[in-house]
Amino acid sequence: MIEIKNLTKKFRDKIAVDNLSLIVRPGVVTGFLGPNGAGKSTTLKMIIGLINPTQGEVKIDGKNYKDLIRPISKIGALIDGDAVNPKFTAKQHLELIATASGISIGRVEEMLKMVGLDKVKNKQIGEFSLGMKQRLGIATALLGDPKTVILDEPFNGLDVDGIHWLRGLTKELAEQGKSVLVSSHLMSEIQAIAERIVVLAQGKLIADMTMEEMTNKSLSTYMKVNSENNRKFKSLLEKEGALIQSMNDEELHVHKLDMKQIGIIARNNNLAIYELTKIQPSLEELFIELTEGKADYVSNVESKERKGDRQ
Amino acid sequence: MRNLIRSEFKKIFFLKSSRIYILTLIVLSLVLGLIFSLTTNVTQGKAITDLSSMDVLSANMLGVDLANIMLIIFTAISISKEFSTKLINVSLVITPNRKKFFLGKIITFFLLSTAISIIVVILAYLASQLILTVNDMPRVTLQDLAVRQFILGVMTMPIFYAIITVAAVFLFNSGAGAITFSLGVMALPALIKMFSNSIQRTLLPVFPQSAIHSLAGVVKKGSGESLGTIASMCLLLAWIIMTSLAANAKFQKQDI
Repeated sequence: MIEIKNLTKKFRDKIAVDNLSLIVRPGVVTGFLGPNGAGKSTTLKMIIGLINPTQGEVKIDGKNYKDLIRPISKIGALIDGDAVNPKFTAKQHLELIATASGISIGRVEEMLKMVGLDKVKNKQIGEFSLGMKQRLGIATALLGDPKTVILDEPFNGLDVDGIHWLRGLTKELAEQGKSVLVSSHLMSEIQAIAERIVVLAQGKLIADMTMEEMTNKSLSTYMKVNSENNRKFKSLLEKEGALIQSMNDEELHVHKLDMKQIGIIARNNNLAIYELTKIQPSLEELFIELTEGKADYVSNVESKERKGDRQ
Repeated sequence: MRNLIRSEFKKIFFLKSSRIYILTLIVLSLVLGLIFSLTTNVTQGKAITDLSSMDVLSANMLGVDLANIMLIIFTAISISKEFSTKLINVSLVITPNRKKFFLGKIITFFLLSTAISIIVVILAYLASQLILTVNDMPRVTLQDLAVRQFILGVMTMPIFYAIITVAAVFLFNSGAGAITFSLGVMALPALIKMFSNSIQRTLLPVFPQSAIHSLAGVVKKGSGESLGTIASMCLLLAWIIMTSLAANAKFQKQDI
């Protein structure tokens, strides 16, 4: 288990990570999201000791990463698929790591086979595509059979088959009881694999909850209701504490009440319901909702277009 | 630590370019030594037969200087490449204890430079024996204390400079910076020798060259470079310790 307490990283003129506290739990895939410059990579690098925190600490099973006796068996990380010497072959790259960690060469072959690089194991990494480098990075991360797996943008460059494989792999790792922390810009992929979501924006923790909790708390989640008398039904729902955001002749958008409550109110008031649908936002919509106005790097053109749309 | 050093050696020898470079370094140092010893009539104005056996050995050992320079370049490039390719990210995930990682590098290049130094010095010694035999001159013998001292002194040079180059890469975070530093430390005494005796006497004893020359027994007594054996060893150790401490302190704080 990774425990992050009050973690802060200040660079010269910028606070990259601001007083971040969270726990990465075992047995689940945690999606790590945030706009560009939110502090995701800095946080991941602080977990594995590549960046020194300005304040705060990260504990892995109660110890600092630097103090772990065999760290590769605790955390396996893919931080940058390009972090390789292109002159080495895939097998040599893994062999270096295995040798330094006292892992058998047999495990290297096993990992190469698992990530699908066994046929190109003797090719120089410089000849690899980005997707192949990502696969090698994943093999590197899993070489020590770690309890926690950290994958920073692992879907980058993977083909459809690779994405499908990685989805299955992350879920399988979580099922084995490992903590899996995946950072990605591909919301659809995170939505497909993550049970828990952590969102950072401008270095601060915006959300740390399960996908279900996040969906329920979202303003974008509502019940689409159409009844025989929408005007009457609206006032009845509001009396029970509902927030009606949108109403036209055809439908009501009801917040703060669930399907069951709405159904009971309709029955008690002898109102026929024609439609009752739960509308759930995609992770991308939730992400936009959470990080709106908190992104450091936004295209001006896009902002102007958005303003135009609103006007 | 043993696993780390084995891995560091693999980092070096997995690369064909490194294997070729080291082989070239050895061959070139031998060839350069031979060229120096066979061209004394041009370089020193004396026929080889007019030289003492020790002078022939010295001329052959000049190849070790080339080996030293090539080893400085090799050390700097090998380590700085780990940073420029970002392989250092992976290395530090496996060995997050940076003190241990740094020490592993120092020990690896100490062992490598020692092996190369021994090979180069043995080859230069054998080449000089061959030249002396061919020219019917008395061969130098290892039973002679002066010969042994000279050989051991010469042998320390590539080892010492390889170690401070390792430290310099971490200190300057640059291969070019490390090469400049090590070559600068090597070359500065030549510059100092252009100044007055008093300046020489003040500055020369702090440079490693004085210690290496003193250990090899090639310093004239009373010159600015003259140091005792213990003082020489202490001076070299002081250089290694100071550069390593500074490099390690910087590396500990460095964000990768």
